[in-house]
Amino acid sequence: MLESEYQEQNRFFLNMGPQHPSTHGVLLIVLEMNGEYVLDPQPVLGFIHRMHEKMGESRPCPGFMPNTGRMDYVCALPYNHGYVSLIERKAGIEVPERAEYIRVITSELNRIASHLLWLGAYLLDLGAFTPILYGFDDREHILDILESVTGSRLTYSYYRFGGVCQDIDEKFVERTRAFIKRLRKRYGIYEKLVTKNIIFIKRTENIGIVSPDMALRYGMTGPNLRGSGISYDIRKNEPYSVYPEFDFEVPVGRQGDCLDRYMVRVREIEQCLRIIEQALDRLPEGPIRSKVPKNIKLSPGDCNFAVEAARGELSYYLIGDGTSTPYRLKVRVPSYSNLSCLPELGRGILLPDLVSILGSFDLVIPEIDR
Amino acid sequence: MDNIIKNFKGFLIDQGFDAVETDYEQRGYHLEVVLTVTQVREFAKKAYELGFYLVFVAGFQVLADPETPSPHSGLAVVYQYARHDRQYRIKACALVPDSLEIPSISDIYQGADWHERETRDFYGIVFSGHHNLKPLLMADMDVDVHPLLKEEAKLKSLDAVSWPSEAPESTE
Repeated sequence: MLESEYQEQNRFFLNMGPQHPSTHGVLLIVLEMNGEYVLDPQPVLGFIHRMHEKMGESRPCPGFMPNTGRMDYVCALPYNHGYVSLIERKAGIEVPERAEYIRVITSELNRIASHLLWLGAYLLDLGAFTPILYGFDDREHILDILESVTGSRLTYSYYRFGGVCQDIDEKFVERTRAFIKRLRKRYGIYEKLVTKNIIFIKRTENIGIVSPDMALRYGMTGPNLRGSGISYDIRKNEPYSVYPEFDFEVPVGRQGDCLDRYMVRVREIEQCLRIIEQALDRLPEGPIRSKVPKNIKLSPGDCNFAVEAARGELSYYLIGDGTSTPYRLKVRVPSYSNLSCLPELGRGILLPDLVSILGSFDLVIPEIDR
Repeated sequence: MDNIIKNFKGFLIDQGFDAVETDYEQRGYHLEVVLTVTQVREFAKKAYELGFYLVFVAGFQVLADPETPSPHSGLAVVYQYARHDRQYRIKACALVPDSLEIPSISDIYQGADWHERETRDFYGIVFSGHHNLKPLLMADMDVDVHPLLKEEAKLKSLDAVSWPSEAPESTE
């Protein structure tokens, strides 16, 4: 038998998903396989497509707030942040400083919660069951803190145009400080349990290398881009809110493999803690909401606002027509661009490596499908 | 920073693009470029050479007006580019001609692949030269359903949404 005939006989298709645990949601990847090697992985999207953009265009702008918390449900507050900032920029609404500080503190807490969940879930994909229990334990503290002020535990809708809907109190500050202390102590555990684990390193080092050029061609952002060694963080590069007032670093990786993406996220947690600490120290007194007209008119013309969500750049793009309903609302979500490189990245690799790559991308499917 | 923006604008105008500076504080981007259909790919190539990344591709619909000097189908495509090394965001836009066809840039920016498929799903704009223009977010059987197209009564003219800031000279 000829080699090519043998190859042809061993070629088959495999459906990974839409209920596969390591796709973290309803994502289907149709894999063209040759034995254990992946020839062509093609993601199939749209299983939970809800047409958020149409909803945004069909009712006055405050009505879209709950939707923003339902795209990336793991890290919803930056989505809230982007949307209120967009409308504030469009309608020229001033925000009190205290409100911006509260936004930053809660957003960063949410980012840590998201990274902790990812850490556990990624390790679960790689076959380690214990880390997710530690991750959930720490994340639970954040959810309790956020619940006390936002009223919800997952799909937040806490920010309002011109501020936030509820002030934080002494108890919130106390609990957050206690949490920072606790999480710093827990670093050692993660370090011992995961980072230096030989099996973990074998499954991630030199796997799924994303070159800087590839990241640029696909528009990758967030920790996935920073893993490739490019220091690009909207909080630093295109500062919004009160982020310029804080001292924090943007961790970057070296070569862009799964291990680098892991290290970037783990180191980012410490930077989030630093931001929260500084914000709590300098938290100004004052009102938490400015006076906002009941019926916000969106002037004709377009407007864009980008924020750094936990997975990368989130851009809201709005075209107004003089009414209070957006004429066009485009939501640019980070995971969408991040995942789109999979067909190129996954060509010719082993199937278990594909699982490792997918996990390292930190995908949230409702965000991709919108 | 202002200098760089000015230089870049001059560079684009030298290359034959219609570029206008915008107020970042109000609009969230620095430069608006109005493209003709033939310039879409040319601009994408320039942007790639200069190290911009593609943020998104999106569609947009207004009232088609056959009586204007530049007839168009009422559909438009918005491209947004940004940079990793400095704060610089560009909006490039092009009106789609009556044939509903606009050249694809998915071979220059592979990331545009999905964005273009999504725009086809939502608006029915055909990206000519795209290697696989199948429904992405919509189901395969809904190939002719375009959810973001508005009813005629709800459509506004280009002027009513003051978009783009300057009318393009021709769409060919």
